[in-house]
Amino acid sequence: MIKKLLIYFSLLFIVASAGAEITRFEMSAPNAVEMGQQFRLTFTVNERGSNLQLPPGLSNNFDVLMGPSTGQSTSIRTINGQTTTEVTYSYTYILRAKSEGEFEIRPATIEAGGKVIESNPLKIQVVPAQSQSQPQTQQQTPRGGENQGSQSVDLGGDNLFLRVEMSKQNVFRGEQIIATVKLYADPNIPISGFDEVNLPTYEGFYTQDIEIPNQINFTREVYNNRIYQVGVLKKTVLFPQQNGTITVNPFSMTLLVQQRVRPRSFFDDFFSGVQTVRTTLTSSAVRVNVKDLPTQPANFYGGVGNFNISSELSAEDVTTNDAVTLKLTINGTGNLRLIRNPELKLPSDFEVYDPRSTENVRATDNGVSGTKTVEYLFQPRFEGEYTIPSISFAFFNPASGTYETLSTREYTLRVEKGTGAQSATVMSSRQREDLQLIGQDIRFIKQGNPLLRVKGTTFYGTPLFYGIYGGSALLFLILFVMYRKKARENANLALMRNKKANRVAIKRLKAAAGFMKKNENEAFHEAILKAFWGYLSDKLGIPVAHLNRDSALAALRERNVDEELTSSFVEIIEQCEFARYAPSGGSEARGELYKKAASTMSRLEKQIKR
Amino acid sequence: MVTTMVKKYCLFLFGMLVFLQVSAQDTIQVLWEKANAYYTTEEYQQAVSAYEQILNSGQESARLYFNLGNAYYKAGDINNAILNYERAKLLAPQDPDIDFNLRLANQFVVTEIEALPQPFFTRWRNRIINLYPADTWAGISIGAFILFLGLLGLFIFGRSSQLKRFSFWIGILTITVSAFTFSFAARQKEKINQRKHAIVFCPRVTVKSAPAQTSTDLFLLYEGVKVEISDSVNTWKEIRLSDGNVGWLPDSCIVRI
Repeated sequence: MIKKLLIYFSLLFIVASAGAEITRFEMSAPNAVEMGQQFRLTFTVNERGSNLQLPPGLSNNFDVLMGPSTGQSTSIRTINGQTTTEVTYSYTYILRAKSEGEFEIRPATIEAGGKVIESNPLKIQVVPAQSQSQPQTQQQTPRGGENQGSQSVDLGGDNLFLRVEMSKQNVFRGEQIIATVKLYADPNIPISGFDEVNLPTYEGFYTQDIEIPNQINFTREVYNNRIYQVGVLKKTVLFPQQNGTITVNPFSMTLLVQQRVRPRSFFDDFFSGVQTVRTTLTSSAVRVNVKDLPTQPANFYGGVGNFNISSELSAEDVTTNDAVTLKLTINGTGNLRLIRNPELKLPSDFEVYDPRSTENVRATDNGVSGTKTVEYLFQPRFEGEYTIPSISFAFFNPASGTYETLSTREYTLRVEKGTGAQSATVMSSRQREDLQLIGQDIRFIKQGNPLLRVKGTTFYGTPLFYGIYGGSALLFLILFVMYRKKARENANLALMRNKKANRVAIKRLKAAAGFMKKNENEAFHEAILKAFWGYLSDKLGIPVAHLNRDSALAALRERNVDEELTSSFVEIIEQCEFARYAPSGGSEARGELYKKAASTMSRLEKQIKR
Repeated sequence: MVTTMVKKYCLFLFGMLVFLQVSAQDTIQVLWEKANAYYTTEEYQQAVSAYEQILNSGQESARLYFNLGNAYYKAGDINNAILNYERAKLLAPQDPDIDFNLRLANQFVVTEIEALPQPFFTRWRNRIINLYPADTWAGISIGAFILFLGLLGLFIFGRSSQLKRFSFWIGILTITVSAFTFSFAARQKEKINQRKHAIVFCPRVTVKSAPAQTSTDLFLLYEGVKVEISDSVNTWKEIRLSDGNVGWLPDSCIVRI
């Protein structure tokens, strides 16, 4: 334990002190070897080192046949006038595996610059010796280590093929799969180049390519207990988009392989017997079974993978019409690009803009990971305290096969009133929705009394219709005639009374004369008054009830009766009325009054007639 | 138990019989209500036949035609719907509901005819005349006439000259109103009586230049179009469209409003 700590410390120290120039010590070997086959274990160090200690326990599993053979390479680089020299020292051992299996080679150490440096560990897989290649290697060795394999190897079947490797075969919809297109070739087949490469089209998947170096590096890999040199042509992350079995169709590519031509005669061997052969490889179809997701919750936005969410509100204290942003960050691995923007339920009187989302996604060998940022922009229109609700985000975790729900925190947004002018414009621009017509249909039938009548009949044109005209006209005529007649009769009556007036008056005066002789004072005066009033009533057409001194005088004046005459008339009236209640005077005064009355009457008669 | 069931059953039968008897002597009011109920429960075919039954009794009204038009519309018979709306409009030219439904029904008519513009005074006169049906105009006319007579009396027997002047002018106004409304009533009545317009019922008909099958084809008409009948020869009718086109049609293709 203490030892380990010490090592860590020393490592840290080294790293710290070698800030300018780091001493690198690396160990490299093929990752797969055949049983009984020789292979190289190489250490490289960029500084002169000493006391190279082989990894402990190495000789348990491997025979060290030869080594170390040292080498040195120097590279001089000039960048912007600065020249740097790098010297690399290498130590090579030739090993041979003792037994089959997978072995771990622990780090080796070396002393360089006064420090002990540890190398990286390695893993080597040892596979059984292959019957086919074994004689070839035997054949190869006497040729003096000529590594340029130019033997004729069968190019079909197990020796050279294409394969699409899927990280998983049974997945949920939306779960990511890493598809690797690999070229497997027997180590003895020298591939000199590619021609037409038709990489597979992944139909039914949403794809994202993983970046790999343009140059294809062949690595040794064990497949079906055989060692192959394997070139990775393409790596793609696949997201299945449909349920059921999706088949990746076979694809093909053409390879250029150098092949030795079998000598047909003795002389052929002196000339170049190597020839480039074109061979076309076709992969086999690969199937992926896609299961549908279980019943989706309402807050599921299409995310399949493993995610985390966080949120951030740009400001919690704002004034009206300030723009506020709620930033939601989803990070993790999975189909980030296929996640829809989660819904944010904002108060209804906010001005809400469309959320903007950005993705920062990397595709690596572990799948697609990164972050998706959704920005919700809104403007509060009115002051007050609002609650920005939490966003609930559910995703499907294919590892556990269940939905997991995450929520952001709730925010309280305090909005204060902004400047008056602003809010005034806002008030005027408040959303007023027009009446929305949803459908159109005829109006409903009429209820109530049908108001039926016989077809084609109208009140207009009926005898009753014309009858009302005629009847009303007739009625009018009748009324008119009757009125006229009555008026005429009335007129005649007045005339008659007018004519009779004098006679009646004279008669009454005579009666007065009789009262005078009998010395009946009251009756005499009354008779004179009666004579006058009755006369005037008949003569002027004023009913007796309406007749008094004023109306009589007005009527007389209207008829241009002399002022002197009216005054004498007034005198007589006054005298009579006075005498009625205060009996005085003798028969002489009565006689005089009578004479005066008679003369006034006759003069009135003349003047009114005129 | 069984006997009570039988009793109930008998009672039910008896009730049915009574009901049937009553329905046999349906008054028109009951028919009307039944038809409306059919319409409300969306049994449009039954509603149509009930309304038609009322019409067959020789009675009519704008409401009846309107409801019948609605029932036809809902049953999918646009031609008959248009026909009945037009009939309803003759009797009640001022009803906005009729106008609305007619406009909606006319959207199904294939042939679109752009009416010739009329001079403004014709338009104004038509609009005023169509404010009321014949009988309302007749009533207004009578009222105005009686008012006129009253004013005439006032004029003749009135004593003050101011009253006479007033009654004179108002009297002239009322007699003019009476005369005009009388003519309006006459015009509305004439529209009802003449029934000069018709609806094309043939799905597709060729309008000819003369009342003969061999004459030149002028234009095509599709069902639902309203035409004006201007002449008639045997089984042929001369029709005039609102855009001024004139031609001859066989009698069987149109139904008079």
